[in-house]
Amino acid sequence: MSTTITRTRLAVVAAAASIALLAGCSSSDDSSDKTSAAPCEPAKGKVTLQYWNTVPGMDKVVDLWNKKNPNIQVETKNISNDQYGTLGNALKAGKAPDLSQVGYDELPNLRTQNAFVDASACKEATAAKSKFVPWTWSQASFGGTGVFAMPQDTGPMALFVRSDIFKKYDVAVPKTWDEYEAAAAKLHKADSSLTMTFFDPNNAEWFNGLLWQNKAEMYSYADNKWQVNVESDQSKQVAEYWQKLISDKLVRTDLANGSTQMYAAYQKDQIASYVGAAWGYSMFRDNLPKQAGKWSIVPMPTWGTDGASGDWGGSTVAFMKGSKHLYESVKFNTWLNSDPEALALENKLGGLYPAANAGLKLPALSQGVPYYNNEKIFDVFADSSNKIDTSFAWGPTQKTVNLALQDAMAKAAAGDGTLTDALAKAQATALKSMKDQAIPATAGK
Amino acid sequence: MTDTATRATRAVTPPGDRRRRLNGGGPRAGTVIAFVTPFFLPFLLFYLVPVGYALWQSFRVVRRSGGQYGTSYTTFGGFEQYGQVFQNTEFWSSIGRIALFGIVQVPVMLFVALTMALLLDTPLLKLKAFFRITAFMPYAVPGVIAAIMWSYLYSPQLSPIVDLLGDIGLKPDFLGPGAILWSTANISTWLWTGYNMLIMFSALQSIPQELYEAAKLDGASNWAIAWRIKVPIIAPSIVLTTVFSIIGTLQLYAEPAVLRQISSNISSTFTPNMLAYAVASGNNYQQAAAISVVIAVITFVLSFGFMRLTSKKAGL
Amino acid sequence: MSNPSTIRESRVSRTAVMALMFLLAIYFLLPIYFLIVAATKPQGELASTNGLAFSHFNLFDNLRVLFTRSDGVFGRWVFNTVIYAVLGAAVGTLISALCGYALAKFQFRGREFLFSVILGGVLVPTTALALPLFLLFSATGIVNTYLAVFLPSIVSPFGVYLARIFANAAVPQELIESARLDGAGEFRTFFSVAFKMMTPALVTIFLFQFVAIWNNFFLPMVMLQKESLFPITLGLYEWNGQTARAPLLQESVITGSLVSIVPVIIVFILLQRFWRTGLAAGSLR
Repeated sequence: MSTTITRTRLAVVAAAASIALLAGCSSSDDSSDKTSAAPCEPAKGKVTLQYWNTVPGMDKVVDLWNKKNPNIQVETKNISNDQYGTLGNALKAGKAPDLSQVGYDELPNLRTQNAFVDASACKEATAAKSKFVPWTWSQASFGGTGVFAMPQDTGPMALFVRSDIFKKYDVAVPKTWDEYEAAAAKLHKADSSLTMTFFDPNNAEWFNGLLWQNKAEMYSYADNKWQVNVESDQSKQVAEYWQKLISDKLVRTDLANGSTQMYAAYQKDQIASYVGAAWGYSMFRDNLPKQAGKWSIVPMPTWGTDGASGDWGGSTVAFMKGSKHLYESVKFNTWLNSDPEALALENKLGGLYPAANAGLKLPALSQGVPYYNNEKIFDVFADSSNKIDTSFAWGPTQKTVNLALQDAMAKAAAGDGTLTDALAKAQATALKSMKDQAIPATAGK
Repeated sequence: MTDTATRATRAVTPPGDRRRRLNGGGPRAGTVIAFVTPFFLPFLLFYLVPVGYALWQSFRVVRRSGGQYGTSYTTFGGFEQYGQVFQNTEFWSSIGRIALFGIVQVPVMLFVALTMALLLDTPLLKLKAFFRITAFMPYAVPGVIAAIMWSYLYSPQLSPIVDLLGDIGLKPDFLGPGAILWSTANISTWLWTGYNMLIMFSALQSIPQELYEAAKLDGASNWAIAWRIKVPIIAPSIVLTTVFSIIGTLQLYAEPAVLRQISSNISSTFTPNMLAYAVASGNNYQQAAAISVVIAVITFVLSFGFMRLTSKKAGL
Repeated sequence: MSNPSTIRESRVSRTAVMALMFLLAIYFLLPIYFLIVAATKPQGELASTNGLAFSHFNLFDNLRVLFTRSDGVFGRWVFNTVIYAVLGAAVGTLISALCGYALAKFQFRGREFLFSVILGGVLVPTTALALPLFLLFSATGIVNTYLAVFLPSIVSPFGVYLARIFANAAVPQELIESARLDGAGEFRTFFSVAFKMMTPALVTIFLFQFVAIWNNFFLPMVMLQKESLFPITLGLYEWNGQTARAPLLQESVITGSLVSIVPVIIVFILLQRFWRTGLAAGSLR
């Protein structure tokens, strides 16, 4: 009995589906990108801007602005729960805010979705260029082709070390990655429960920072095509290096960055160093108060004699498509990210390490930090910030590539394949995902 | 049954009223529409239209014009998205993973459920209500919460099970690369065994006792009665639970998604549904639609295939 | 039948069967027992004490923390879940009952066709609907509102299927005819005659749909970003994802899980007989 019903049922469903198909045909999700800059006219009277972000305490910074600027009121919304999901939805529904926080690595991705408006018609926007650390402006302006966002904060990388452990085992603090590996072997030999650091396979952003440090320029644009070079000699060098540390069991792979388990391992003196970024200084201070005085921050180990550093994280505040108040948005955005008073407050409440030159001279960033033996740790980060490769660029499908990279790195950490294989996977995913989005791309030379 | 009912209706319908009714019998067309529409309209909008929309999307491809950040638009692409799906190794490995899962988990779960149902239907057992209720209880727990509970029982930091096994010298790694699929399967088994058991048990209860009396008088054991008489009679229920289990397996999402929060051994493309979601969040909705359609078709084919296969064999 | 070997055999098998069933009962109860124990502990003792033994009784404090965390957002999730699952299932049951009743009791052209279309819907995987629905809803601006989850949830083809079977079985045609002869309209007949007779069946349909909505995680996950609109499941999932960074959330995830499943378990047990009617009917096809 069931079989006859079944067949009719199938046919009926197919018929119904095709009716619905015809009904749905009229809709279209095309996007129309106007590459020319939007006009920059001040509004008459009072305007209210929407600004979405994930920074703790940002509402207080905005309060400060609102008090001073009765005619340009800003409303904030915290979207830290699912930053890009929320933003993506809003864009799809045409309800994006005037301004939104966007990470550097997501800028090209969102731009291919036509998410931004070019503010370069506003003089104040183009003039802001000199106010920011060069690489941040380069990324926010897409190599100087417009003003799509203002840099907010950065994550210049550095090495966090447990000086006491290094001293105890008489191991010198490493200056190069070769020394770092040798030191890792020494420490592990001296105490088998001690490892140099951990490799978090689910953290593509961190790994990208390491690649950046080795000038592994993964994406460029030439001959009317994206040149995809994820699997370059520079990135392979990084991958092989960490693969060796993993294979030799000199680093752990069972910890997630920022997790309770990670802090527990540090608390139990099981890990001697942390490859981190500027915004991480408060993580250790706040989560491991008992280890005050035991930590130092030194420059990243380098590749050979090249002193280059990398960046991990940081964000911009982007001008979103659909904003009706570009002039006012530029005014607020410039103030938010380059005014010393605003930057000081963001640093204090949100732990942001500013992308603006003025921010790097903040009093708070030139003093010694008690937790770190009163060392002037921000000098280390400032130095790191100056040594970051300025021509590094992100891909237009970075989110998808990061996910594939993480999956493959997790496999490698579980003994299935290597990190070099993971790079190959990321390269293939980058090309495929760009092809799917009809973005012209080719494997770079 | 409906036939006699229809005839009865026709008999009492005054002839003069006929033309105002559909097809002769029953109430006015307007009344039928009023009864059916409250369901059918949402059904059309939230079931049929999305199915059609997914189909339509799956035949679209993204194209772009002009430069590095050109304008995107979609156009008809034939089976291009399906070609992509079939070439996607991640897709096939997620299907392979879920097939392995289903081939092991579904029979194990249904075997346990059937055994329990049969035992609850024999005089051998006491405390029947207690056993029935405990087995059914997990059905009240949503997949997400079940997975959260089990993830605590799997995690090396918190799990009393890991502690207990540690005391006898074992070091289980429930979240390791080899075990994670079966740890997920265990959650499904825990959730659905009682539900399937109750379906089979209800079917058993509706079998008239007289059917067994003769066999009992012939000296057949409880065992023989169970396997030779009861199981064939409730075969349709077993088929039904199998079909539901196949559908459920192919839709697996919440449980592995929760375990992914604590184990890097569950990739973002672990199950077909997770893959579809990952592809969609990479802004590739057309391909995600194609994946959804393929999953739905596989579900249809498997469910119907299984129903046909068993109905032929059992001569139902 | 009564020879000694059979009796011995049955005693042995009785014991074996009881042992097996107790083992299974332990398996089904263990996670819930663990949850109860864990929900009574202070956060600090979750990892440091035996997970199966009670220690400091801290349940009330845990509850206070749970309901006050993030401005009491958990209470909001409970409320949302009631809206989605209870109200959704109630509305869904009503429309399923109307449609199923019409399919069972009215004779009209295209009836079987309509029924086939609806039955086909039973086999459409609901997760396959979520993404296209998301796109359709974002085009209409419904995404990230109550309606985005509520509207798709009220549709249950399985409910219509059950309602048709129950209406056929439980409502005698003669009663409908006599109500009609008394001059009652079809709706009055339905609500005054059929509805009462179908009540046990409607409870069953309600329960099935409640579980379907309560279990459907994918739909709200795709549709909602605003925390204040989450159902409990999505909220706890989000919290659980943050426990690695905010370990204090762990106790709230555990307590929240317990708080949300206990009432449902109790209702399920109380309404057991409705389940069995429904399951028996469901397996009749």
